[in-house]
Amino acid sequence: MATGFFTDTTLCIGCKACEVACKQWNELPSDGFTFTGTSYDNTSELSGTTWRHVAFVEQMQLHESGLADRWLMMSDVCKHCTHAGCLEACPTGAIIRTEFDSVFIQPDICNGCGYCVVSCPFGVVDLIEKVDPNGTRYNLATLNEARREAEETAVQGRGGVAGKCTLCYDRQTLGVVPACAKACPTESIQFGEIDELRAHASERVERLRQRGVDATLYGADDVGGGVGALNAFFLLTDRPETYNLPSQPVLPSTRQPAGYLCAAFAALGLALAGWAIFRSGRAS
Amino acid sequence: MSERLPHIPNPDDAFAGAAAGNDTALPPTYFDRPLLKAPHWGWNVVTYLFLGGIMGGLGLIALLADERREDERRLRRTARFASLALAAANPAILISHLGRPERFLHMLRIVKFKSPMSLGVWGLVLYSGVAGANVVRELSEVRVLPRWMRHLAPGVLTPLQALLGAFIAGYTGVLLSATANPLWGAGKRHIPAISVTSGAASACALASFLSVLGDNHDVVRRLERLELVASAAELALLVDFRRHASRYGDPLFTGTRGERLYSMTIVTGIVAPAALNLIGAVVALPKPLDRLRTIAASALTLLGGYMLRDTLIEAGKASAQDPHAGAIQPR
Repeated sequence: MATGFFTDTTLCIGCKACEVACKQWNELPSDGFTFTGTSYDNTSELSGTTWRHVAFVEQMQLHESGLADRWLMMSDVCKHCTHAGCLEACPTGAIIRTEFDSVFIQPDICNGCGYCVVSCPFGVVDLIEKVDPNGTRYNLATLNEARREAEETAVQGRGGVAGKCTLCYDRQTLGVVPACAKACPTESIQFGEIDELRAHASERVERLRQRGVDATLYGADDVGGGVGALNAFFLLTDRPETYNLPSQPVLPSTRQPAGYLCAAFAALGLALAGWAIFRSGRAS
Repeated sequence: MSERLPHIPNPDDAFAGAAAGNDTALPPTYFDRPLLKAPHWGWNVVTYLFLGGIMGGLGLIALLADERREDERRLRRTARFASLALAAANPAILISHLGRPERFLHMLRIVKFKSPMSLGVWGLVLYSGVAGANVVRELSEVRVLPRWMRHLAPGVLTPLQALLGAFIAGYTGVLLSATANPLWGAGKRHIPAISVTSGAASACALASFLSVLGDNHDVVRRLERLELVASAAELALLVDFRRHASRYGDPLFTGTRGERLYSMTIVTGIVAPAALNLIGAVVALPKPLDRLRTIAASALTLLGGYMLRDTLIEAGKASAQDPHAGAIQPR
């Protein structure tokens, strides 16, 4: 059964309950506090230890008709792509496709090569720093006591591996809704079977458009570039890059054939040149 | 509310405008925060890519060397010993960059054709085996090992090592170009070819250097001529990459990294050694001076090859910070 998230940004109120619920359930350590000064977003980005991130977009523009302003909020998450760059890139097989069609990093297999980090077209996956007992690089304060003493987190062990949203694989195996969706007070984050979510999402878009809202779905269908549809898709009211989503993502592995071919041509050319040079040396 | 907002141009058109130098045409992004994640790779991956390129070139040199000529037989021996030394060093460097080095062997639990990292590790394993067998053959020929042991490495292993070497040199480029990084992705054709040519030039430089040290002076001229061809191809590919990559190429070709690329790779690593090699080909220098010239040219080529990888990785980190390049990724 393929399950996923439909994140309806028009319903998001920016409460960050999803961020908190995710951190708590997955026992992810605090990333420390930085005052960014960019609206209410002090989380900044998804990372190895932040698997939900609420973006705040403040838009204000002056017109003849007066001030147009709106405040967009979106809870970002791993997209669990149909064709996932991270999964294709992983050389250890640590990243797998689960029975729920989600993309899951097995923390005990990952060796922290970091290739998935550069292979995600959405900038989701990141490495988790090694656990530092002094807590200078890695804040263990939010972990429960036993984990804190063992200096480890539940899913990542002692760090040094890649981390991202698991689509609450553990909760799903128990038949429980993922933590973020459960915590969301406005049903901005909806969890369910992917086909049902898509049907519901297109209805919602229709309804919003009838009300004059310029709503689009992002990732309900193929996003292009070989990535395919996204198992965690979004309803947006502005262009994707406004929310830090790529408007034109590309699946990295689509670049491989051209690369290998050009390398082969270069090698063949050099071999021929070398053959000519070394043979002419023989004649002299 | 949205209909009251002004019309914002299609990002495709805006990006085309920006490529032509008009940055104001770019649509606003999310607080200009990076959309993509930067690689965490440092000197160890730079060295790994650099040595991988040389391993590839050495395989080719060993194949080109003619067994019937004394000087080229010695060159082949040099290339084989050097390639085994690099094949031994490179996995250690690769392991040192892992977040969990003790789990290196997890890379050998699967073969994944879609992952250049997986294929490359297997290529490295096979190359090491073949390079080791070829060194056993060399050692048995100089009677360090029993004579029968040369049969452990049949003749077919020489072209096989060259083939595996070409793959390793090429894959160090594909490893970068087949990622979501905008700069590297824009070089999907150029970076792999640059890796091969630069690797071959560096291998020729290393082999010339070792041949001069081993007093095998006759082959140096041939190696330097091949180095010249490889460096010229590398330069042409870099120029074409600049032209092709447009805005995506800026992190590599402009600013401090651009200066570093021009000064360290193009001038120091390509033009200067090429000039030295041309002088050697045209002017008959006295032998000690000629040795010095070869050593200098080799050192410069190797430095340029290392700095090329270093600048490429650093530029990739900068490219990942550009949200516009991340939003519209190169095909």
